[in-house]
Amino acid sequence: MSTIDPILWNDWHPVAETCTLLSGPPVETVLLGVPLVIAADADGAFHARRTDDVPLHQDERYGLVWVCLGTPERPVLAIPEADEPDRPAVTVGSIRVQTAGPRVIENFLDLGHLGYVHARYLGDDPHTQVLPYKVDALPEGGIIATGCKMFQPQASPAATEGFMVDYVYKVERPLATCLYKANPVHRDRFDVIFLFAQPVSEEESIAHPLLLCLPDGTTAADLRTFQQLIFMQDKPILENQVPKRLPLADGAELPIAADKSSVAYRRWLSKIGMTYGVIPAQARAA
Amino acid sequence: MTMVPGNWYAVAAEHDVPAGHIYRTALGGNDQAIRELAIWRASDGAVQVWEDRCPHRGVRFSLGEVVGDELRCQYHAWRFAKGGACTFIPAQPDMKVPGSIHAKAWPVAVSAGLIWTGVDPVGEPPVLGEGAAIRAVPVARPLAEVETALAQADLPGLALTLQPLGDTETIVRGLVANGDCAAADRALAALRRQLECVA
Amino acid sequence: MILYDAHHVAPAYAVRLLAGFLGLPLELQGMDVYPGHDDRSDEFLALNPLGTLPVLVDGDTVFTDWQEILAHLALAHGPDWYPATDPALVGWLGIARDLAASAGAARLMQTFCVPGDLAEAKAQAERLLDEVERRMWFAERAGHGWLLAGTHPTIADIAAFVSIAPCEDGGLSLRDRPALRRWCDRVRFHPGFVPMSGVFPPMANT
Repeated sequence: MSTIDPILWNDWHPVAETCTLLSGPPVETVLLGVPLVIAADADGAFHARRTDDVPLHQDERYGLVWVCLGTPERPVLAIPEADEPDRPAVTVGSIRVQTAGPRVIENFLDLGHLGYVHARYLGDDPHTQVLPYKVDALPEGGIIATGCKMFQPQASPAATEGFMVDYVYKVERPLATCLYKANPVHRDRFDVIFLFAQPVSEEESIAHPLLLCLPDGTTAADLRTFQQLIFMQDKPILENQVPKRLPLADGAELPIAADKSSVAYRRWLSKIGMTYGVIPAQARAA
Repeated sequence: MTMVPGNWYAVAAEHDVPAGHIYRTALGGNDQAIRELAIWRASDGAVQVWEDRCPHRGVRFSLGEVVGDELRCQYHAWRFAKGGACTFIPAQPDMKVPGSIHAKAWPVAVSAGLIWTGVDPVGEPPVLGEGAAIRAVPVARPLAEVETALAQADLPGLALTLQPLGDTETIVRGLVANGDCAAADRALAALRRQLECVA
Repeated sequence: MILYDAHHVAPAYAVRLLAGFLGLPLELQGMDVYPGHDDRSDEFLALNPLGTLPVLVDGDTVFTDWQEILAHLALAHGPDWYPATDPALVGWLGIARDLAASAGAARLMQTFCVPGDLAEAKAQAERLLDEVERRMWFAERAGHGWLLAGTHPTIADIAAFVSIAPCEDGGLSLRDRPALRRWCDRVRFHPGFVPMSGVFPPMANT
């Protein structure tokens, strides 16, 4: 039995992109402190193993190899949009960031930073006001933020002008989040962008973005480049957050109304009893 | 023993903090906590020593920027004025910022060309005399070891003071009476090599 | 001029940065290096057998070395950036190349999980950063703001900046390297500056 947070130990985590495995050597990585090696064999099948050869559970979905180190209580997160025939799943690669997974997820939900950290792409001064939006609990656990709006100068590679972008954000698992965002060409349909944070240790993560975008003339390479550019703007912010673990106590940091989704995310993690990569609320009083 | 409450510590030279720049350093306490500091000047030249951490989401202020008379956090561009009060939150531009949103400001003294701070420092900073501020030299050894080595070293014309960065790292700062910073730097570099190779 | 470019590759950023300072338009040919390996394609290797980025195509000439590209652009469009009579230029460009091989390599390992000896790369980068910090501190005391004596930045500043400014991505720190942080500010505030992810531009609408 592992003493690591059962919420993460018994959940599925992406640990490698299949495209990287097919074109290169085996990937060595770490999940929840456990060293892993993932390789493709001659037939194109993928094999993940612990370096100590303790058995693990493995799956392959959406261009990613997934691992569960404990006892899986449910399958890999279902993504209905991945079954829509006109949406190719594009993985963006593994991007390391020296902070806790929940910090990575919370930053993805954050609207107020778009005009500063992603200036000229996902927002711009002075269009930085965060208009009121709604946050609700999801029936299966997690949170959903709806009615989010942001003026974006270049919302995606295909955008030719700035426009007010509608967003919906979801967090369905502690380290899996996604957003639905109006496509700049098909403005009545949504592009879907997922972000999974692989917990390497309590204070170190590997981000795996996954794009499920509508065909709008943008190549997979352009989508990847854009998403990497955006995530690498977030990396120094994330690595300069102190402490690295996400504090869950109300009042540990100072949220405002615009941070509603962050408050809801922290409270949900508290409620389910998450301990890994966070500073639990009760630990603060102690 | 590292940082002691009540003492003043030199954490920068005056010339380290030109207008518009945010200087970044730390003070390590004997409680194992490392207090990171962001140091900048308001437009009237007044030196601000702040905890290097925005109270909103914990991002280091030193990643941000001085704009006019305020420091802006890089994450959400919250603006903070001299003294530490938050003055403007771009995500909610019409909101009157609550007085509870405040950067943590540290005590400041400027003397002998150095910037001093501390936890509840008592009285005035130590008097180092006259001279030019030398280049600060970090040494990867605990403060007590550096102190002992300095006491045994022959460093004429140098008035030195130590800034603990943590349990195992110390910065040597000070003044050189004859203004020969290059010679002082060579002497301290030699001391650093000697201390670090003992480790 | 066509620049074969990847947004995160520091030597390619050096060329974009100099072009920004000189006001030169570049036609960017973006490459999916990670995870796409466009740099290993037959088409690209025909252009540059070493497979390194960036590559500049200017008229009939193909340049495959980033520092040579900087020199070419400066000589053709901004001689102030290339003080050919100062031997220190050669030394600084060498240090910049060593920084790319150490701090730059650490950044790629710590960002894109590129395999390599992270500890060795960081140790070498620490030695170089200490030395550049020392030199910059004394340059400032002597009234200079740039790596080479004089009032104008040079391609040496650009070549070193692209490894030093984003070095914290690689697990290095500029804390208590005050002269380097001030010099990074001077580069960022120089007219025509263009950012790279990880290096923030001066804040908008100041």
